[in-house]
Amino acid sequence: MSTRSSLAVLALVGLPLLACGGGAKEEAAPPPGPAATAAAPAAPAGGGATSGTASISGKISFEGTAPAPEKIKTSADPKCQAMHPQGLERQTIDATGGGLKDVLVYVKSGVSGTYAAPTEPVLLDQRGCMYHPHIITVQAGQPLKIRNSDDTLHNIHPRPTVNQEFNIGQPRKDMESTKTFDKAEVPIPVGCDVHPWMRSYIAVLNHPFFAVTKEDGTYEIKGLPAGDYEIEAWHEKLKTQSLKVTVKDGEKAKADFSYKS
Amino acid sequence: MSGRSGAVSSSTTLRDAPRFDRWRHRFGVATAASTLVLVFIGGLVTSTGSGLSVPDWPLSYGMLMPPMVGGVFYEHTHRMVASLVGLLTLILAVWTARAEQRAGVRRLAWAALAVVIAQGVLGGLTVIYLLPTPVSVAHACLAQTFFCIVIALAYVTSREWLAASASPVDASGLRGAALTAAIVVYVQLVIGAVMRHIGAGLAIPDFPLAFGRLVPPLTSGPVLVHFAHRIGALVVLVAVARLLVRARRARDPRLLRLAGALFGLVLLQISLGAATVLTTKAVTPTTLHVATGAAILGGSWLMTLRAFRLRRPAPDVAAAPAGQPVPQS
Repeated sequence: MSTRSSLAVLALVGLPLLACGGGAKEEAAPPPGPAATAAAPAAPAGGGATSGTASISGKISFEGTAPAPEKIKTSADPKCQAMHPQGLERQTIDATGGGLKDVLVYVKSGVSGTYAAPTEPVLLDQRGCMYHPHIITVQAGQPLKIRNSDDTLHNIHPRPTVNQEFNIGQPRKDMESTKTFDKAEVPIPVGCDVHPWMRSYIAVLNHPFFAVTKEDGTYEIKGLPAGDYEIEAWHEKLKTQSLKVTVKDGEKAKADFSYKS
Repeated sequence: MSGRSGAVSSSTTLRDAPRFDRWRHRFGVATAASTLVLVFIGGLVTSTGSGLSVPDWPLSYGMLMPPMVGGVFYEHTHRMVASLVGLLTLILAVWTARAEQRAGVRRLAWAALAVVIAQGVLGGLTVIYLLPTPVSVAHACLAQTFFCIVIALAYVTSREWLAASASPVDASGLRGAALTAAIVVYVQLVIGAVMRHIGAGLAIPDFPLAFGRLVPPLTSGPVLVHFAHRIGALVVLVAVARLLVRARRARDPRLLRLAGALFGLVLLQISLGAATVLTTKAVTPTTLHVATGAAILGGSWLMTLRAFRLRRPAPDVAAAPAGQPVPQS
């Protein structure tokens, strides 16, 4: 083989090898300024502008015994372990506040008209090697800002079935990326393949009528026009329940749900 | 003229005779061993669910060396060892091109290089396209193909190949049995790769029965693939047992040792497959199952090569010093 051929082969194989090295490439946005930080409401904030005056509120209760919190081993990443010296636990069914926390409640059917997606981003934060919030709600087309607040790397990997799947890395603290889901989809699981215990869910809706229950299990969906609606509650373990609710202008309707173990 | 011609002829014979190159042979063996280690680490990547823990390729988080935490440890280690195997293959190909007299062996070395490059690209595609099943399966199968090519490269440069056999082997039925075993094992590995990458490893949750029956209801694709893999295991067992019987008849201790080791590996492999199901895909048995499968394929393929080679009687040149020409059989 000639020297030239040898060099060509060396270059061919060497390129991928060399490509494994090199400097860092900034894919995501630089660290946020104050405006960006302030612009990121946490769930269960609703979506865009609404025109109605009715609301639906209620409480999600849980009967039975919730499973013991799941103990999470974080030793695979010393920085995550250092952030949780007492250990990390996850309570998937969290009813400690008197009601069931982290239930998505949304209008599944009955909404007419179109609702423009807000331009204000919703924030999904990776902090303490966990996602905050656990259930995040956005309107289709609304920016989702993803931030790494940890001094360790994360990858963000939603696994939608309707929207476009993506997998991006945030190797440094305070990196931010903005993504948008175009189609309504409930729920989209999100995970970090580096830290398999990290799990979250994104709910994408094409209207602003949704909420996520607080620690006491309560929720409120505001700004509904008068009408007949199907309200659905979704929990990651306990799955779905639905109710039919009719509201008139200015009325405050109640829709309570009850899950059992 | 005739004397001159005779001198040329003699010279040509010496120049064309393949030489035993101890270090090149050892380098080939080391490359094959590294490939088996790479298969194990690749298996770890899938078993630990770390395949997408590094979202970019060929860089890793835009870096040469990302923090080796969580799933990154497995995925980036796989990339580093893969780069090492690529480098070893490049060296082997260039070395073979410069030192090897047999054109076929030179072509085989270039083929190994082409396959390892294709394998690297497939690995990158699995990352970029988020583990599409066909690409992941192709990546798994091409790894086994590359392993076989490197084994062949190592063997055809061995003293055994060059010297053939001092005592002719009774090859009656041995070659067919060895080739059948190698083909059956390869097909079984393809089925295993499909099963693994469509997530059907636990589609049948019990063992040795399947849903409490000998034959499960074959109503879904994953159950069908999983059951085919179990049936494939039995076929492999029979094929390797047949090979062992034929190797005994051949009365060559080298072949008998290899056939015996293969049979033992198949028994181990079936146990690991059972452990994979019964531990609901615990990382260790699942990954060892992948690596042992590769070892069985490599062993069957080596057995095939040896069965084909050793059938030929040849002068005893086992004692020929390194670097000296060895008459070809």
